[in-house]
Amino acid sequence: MDEPAPAIETDNLQRTFTVGRRSRRRTIEAVTGISFAVRPGERLAFIGPNGAGKSTSIKMLTGILHPTGGAARVLGLVPWNDRLALTRRIGALFGQRSQLWNELPPRDGYRMLGAIHGLDTATLEANVSDLGERFAAADLFDQPVRTLSLGQRMRCELVACLLHRPAIVFLDEPTIGLDLVGKQQFRDMLVELNETLGVTVFLTSHDVADIEHVAHRAIVVNHGEIIHDDTVAAMRRSLLRTKRIEVTFDHAIDTTELGRRLARDLGTGVTMTGPGIRREPKASATSTATVEVDTGRHRIRTVLDHILVDGRVVDLTVVDPPLEQVIGEIYRRPTAGDRS
Amino acid sequence: MTATRSITTTAATTTIRGLATTFGCSIRETMANRRGFALQISVMVVNDLVWLLFWLLFFDRFGSIRGWTLDDMVVLLAVLTMSVGTVLGLFGNARRIAVLISDGTLDAALALPVPALPYLLVRHVNVLFVGDMVYGIVLFLALGRPTPARLAVFVAVCAFSALLFGGFLVLVGCSAFAVGRSEVGDLGFNAITLFASYPVDVFAGPTKLFLYAVVPAGFVSTVPSRLVDEFDPRWALALAGLSIGVAALARHAFARGLRHYTSGAVWTAR
Repeated sequence: MDEPAPAIETDNLQRTFTVGRRSRRRTIEAVTGISFAVRPGERLAFIGPNGAGKSTSIKMLTGILHPTGGAARVLGLVPWNDRLALTRRIGALFGQRSQLWNELPPRDGYRMLGAIHGLDTATLEANVSDLGERFAAADLFDQPVRTLSLGQRMRCELVACLLHRPAIVFLDEPTIGLDLVGKQQFRDMLVELNETLGVTVFLTSHDVADIEHVAHRAIVVNHGEIIHDDTVAAMRRSLLRTKRIEVTFDHAIDTTELGRRLARDLGTGVTMTGPGIRREPKASATSTATVEVDTGRHRIRTVLDHILVDGRVVDLTVVDPPLEQVIGEIYRRPTAGDRS
Repeated sequence: MTATRSITTTAATTTIRGLATTFGCSIRETMANRRGFALQISVMVVNDLVWLLFWLLFFDRFGSIRGWTLDDMVVLLAVLTMSVGTVLGLFGNARRIAVLISDGTLDAALALPVPALPYLLVRHVNVLFVGDMVYGIVLFLALGRPTPARLAVFVAVCAFSALLFGGFLVLVGCSAFAVGRSEVGDLGFNAITLFASYPVDVFAGPTKLFLYAVVPAGFVSTVPSRLVDEFDPRWALALAGLSIGVAALARHAFARGLRHYTSGAVWTAR
């Protein structure tokens, strides 16, 4: 059976920007030549630190920016040449831009977008109703946008970019600024969107958790080039196997001693990280420890049990490693030598 | 999913319907604060009345200047406020094109299946300048010696004046594609509104040429107001030709400029 045509395909895609004036003029290579393909129905996380070239890439793929080199096709169209035709078939959500009207309810904005996409009234109403129910957002559609929280607003923005039933949805940092609950709700919406409607999801983010919760596959970019492209399952076995436990006790404890004890009881795979080992000023009588756990070797629960033996905990957070650490790990892996 | 995507009309009709709906939303958003809406229109009308008072006192003292009398000045002010008010009031982003380009706000427009420039123009209604429009038409009807023929010419020349003014603003705004900053757009706006506030005939030599040919302030107010008082087909053709030419040039400059658009990262809604 033939492979379906890629939903997105790039070949050595490049973009440079010229900044500064006269003698200070210089060229910045935002995207240095990326090549990849995305299958229809795939959920792809395109991640990297700030300035890595994520937003520039997504803007070229949605026809907003013209590249300075290379080629790309999205749904068989060249984005920057066929922008009007392409935008009828894709949805784009930029975390820092809004398609809605601040003083008007989202429903008014949906009418405008429906008209722009050529939807008749019945189809538009049916789509708004379906998406409102699907994302539990229908009760937000008649409130002025300015009265919505950021999380509510992003849900309404997502509905806005799905009204015309796009085949691909591009999302540029959609979870930026959301609290933990808001982020998780938004990620769940993306998964639902993909699983029930078959929409291809292309998500840029600098949040490692977005990879684990949303994507089938992740492409990591840094300095405008792809440094890693793999399934999330494989990344989970290699790059994303550590979690950080940040714990605060309500009394002063010797965190160095805690580290020694964890190493003695649990062996390798549990380490106290440098900056996290600190004792708070005596006046506050609390102490904080950061423990990094290799989840391939130890269950988080087991490590927590050993930590809690030391006393009363006033705060406890389990977080993913920062993206910089993941990227550092990618460069440290043997394949990194091939690039350099 | 029960509903399916349905394209009901041709692309052109869809575009017109989309732009009309966008314009309707712009007006509704402006009207969301009704008290502010009425207040801002009133403030602009009072501001324009002060300007009229100045010219009343001026011509009362000096009679005329280079052939221009108070009656001529009234028509010029009516044309100017009507055309400038139309552009800045109903197509509020015309003045902000350079800012939209330099801060990356075009992204939202370019993500939609609609021509970006017309969409941007109808995306923002500025109440303050709607007051200018109201003032312009009322001034002409009250003091412009209106007859059906004069009113018809007034409406036509205001339309071309608005097209020229809007086209010029977009054209200078497109400079931001090249320089990445919005100052040139601001400079162009200030220059044309300042010089169009006076009859260009009071200037002479190279300045007068400059105000007809480079910053076409003369064609925004002086020529249209002359046509209302004394219709001349040659000047009418010149006004129409220049207006359509500048508007076409602005459209072309915007389309070409998009190739060099660099986007940006400012948090904004429009």
